[in-house]
Amino acid sequence: MTCDLSVAIGALTLRGPVLAASGTFGYGTEVSLLERRALGGMVSKGIFLRPREGTPPPRIAETPSGMLNAIGLQGPGVEALIRDYAPKWAEWDFPVFVNINAESAAEYGELAARLDGVPGVAGFEINISCPNVEQGGLYFGNDPRAAAAVTESVRKRTRLPVWVKLTPMVSDIGVIARAVEAAGADALCAINTFVGMSIDLNAYKPRLSFRTGGLSGPAIRPLAVHLAHQAARAVRIPVIGIGGITRSEDALEFLVAGCAAVQVGTATFVNPCAIAEVHDGIATFLEAKGLSSLADLPRYPPRD
Amino acid sequence: MFLVDAAITGRRQVARDTFVIAMHAPEIAATVRAGQFVNLGWASGPLLRRPFSVYGAEGEHIEIVLKAVGVGTAQLLLMTLGDRLSCLGPLGHGFGLLAGPQSAVLVSGGLGVAPMPLAAREAASLGMRVIWVHGARSSDELCSESEGNQVIWATDDGSRGFAGTAVAAAPDADLVLACGPNRMLAAVAVRWPDALVAIETYMGCGTGVCLGCAVPLERGGYDRACKEGPVYRAADIDWASLPPHLSYAVTA
Repeated sequence: MTCDLSVAIGALTLRGPVLAASGTFGYGTEVSLLERRALGGMVSKGIFLRPREGTPPPRIAETPSGMLNAIGLQGPGVEALIRDYAPKWAEWDFPVFVNINAESAAEYGELAARLDGVPGVAGFEINISCPNVEQGGLYFGNDPRAAAAVTESVRKRTRLPVWVKLTPMVSDIGVIARAVEAAGADALCAINTFVGMSIDLNAYKPRLSFRTGGLSGPAIRPLAVHLAHQAARAVRIPVIGIGGITRSEDALEFLVAGCAAVQVGTATFVNPCAIAEVHDGIATFLEAKGLSSLADLPRYPPRD
Repeated sequence: MFLVDAAITGRRQVARDTFVIAMHAPEIAATVRAGQFVNLGWASGPLLRRPFSVYGAEGEHIEIVLKAVGVGTAQLLLMTLGDRLSCLGPLGHGFGLLAGPQSAVLVSGGLGVAPMPLAAREAASLGMRVIWVHGARSSDELCSESEGNQVIWATDDGSRGFAGTAVAAAPDADLVLACGPNRMLAAVAVRWPDALVAIETYMGCGTGVCLGCAVPLERGGYDRACKEGPVYRAADIDWASLPPHLSYAVTA
């Protein structure tokens, strides 16, 4: 029996439910070993209009079952991405989404307009966990109006699918989820990293030069399952679950909790074949349960 | 790059608290160059892999050298023959030695000895006269194994060989290779700007995707120790911005 693992995210059909998460897969060209056959899709490293140097080292610190990172969205800028990477993506048999970042709502729209129609770019994942420089550095993702304004700005400049990656650092993720849905998002990605800190007891200061970093890895998985579940219950558009997925069982938790697909991130750092193993494990699970397609997987709460 | 399920096949002590571990990784042994590294993971280990320069490569086996500096290395030293390691490598760009220089001086401090046996053999096979200079705080911390045509020992406390640093003990040569604490390598850069140095950083993936192992460059910006490095021309690194010492004690 061959299991049908394809999933529909809005108008787009993915051949499998497991995608590579932004910032954990580079631009898809770095690791030769990767089994690309299993990829439902890929989200690129976050990009700004202009090149960014990134933060000084130390940039990462391991924590129990997780890691903190403060890379600072190091990247070559959108023109280099269009020149060096998009032509390769255009030849691949899975969609590549570009994770877009900016310091104002208008600049997000500008970035989307520049990438719209570039062969190889299948859609956008908006990272709203960026500081809004025009409004005193408050994060777009913490404020439903700012999050909606960013989404709308991108929506107006492209007909490609627009996904919005939600931050967990909010008091009610459902409020933000509904705001960006109303602003025209095609899907939500839940969640981005939690902000954390770790102290070097020899130096009496934070282990990261940036002081704080984003916490990822298995340590955040139960938190992420809960938040993805809450987001999925708040909206009608699909939710793509993210947070500490290492094994197929982890991915299945998100799927049963209401997610349409998942992204694997930190696990790829540890095991370059993690995505393929998660994908294959989902098929094995469904077959063992006598289910012929992922669409038949029971969800919680049960659907009508 | 290969991902090998490698059995531990040997272990020997080479200095106080310092051990060489051998493992069966034929694909890596056949292709590794001096200065390259492997990233090791194991069941029940910490989340992230641990990077190690390849110390030896003979037949189907590779070797690493380590001491317990944190939770990961402590676990590795509790493993026994036959235990399995997930071994990803060879990774990074090594010394990339080419024929031409008549002599090479290999300067190492402490665990910085790690890439030097392979470097000594590559340099010798290219016709270079190899001078091995190895330093540590005291004689019992010196690595007992050495290679090359001439061996110079250095200890901070003068308990063996030259009393002082390996950098101070080293003679000049056509080619200088160095590995050790970043503070020592900064001193190498002052004396020999063209030296090739293998540096140490915190590392996430080892494969170029996480951008965690940022190396500040003298010309500005960063690149990746795991991909463009870990070997650099000494004068190309912005030493003032590179963390001089890595702290592993609280890593879990």
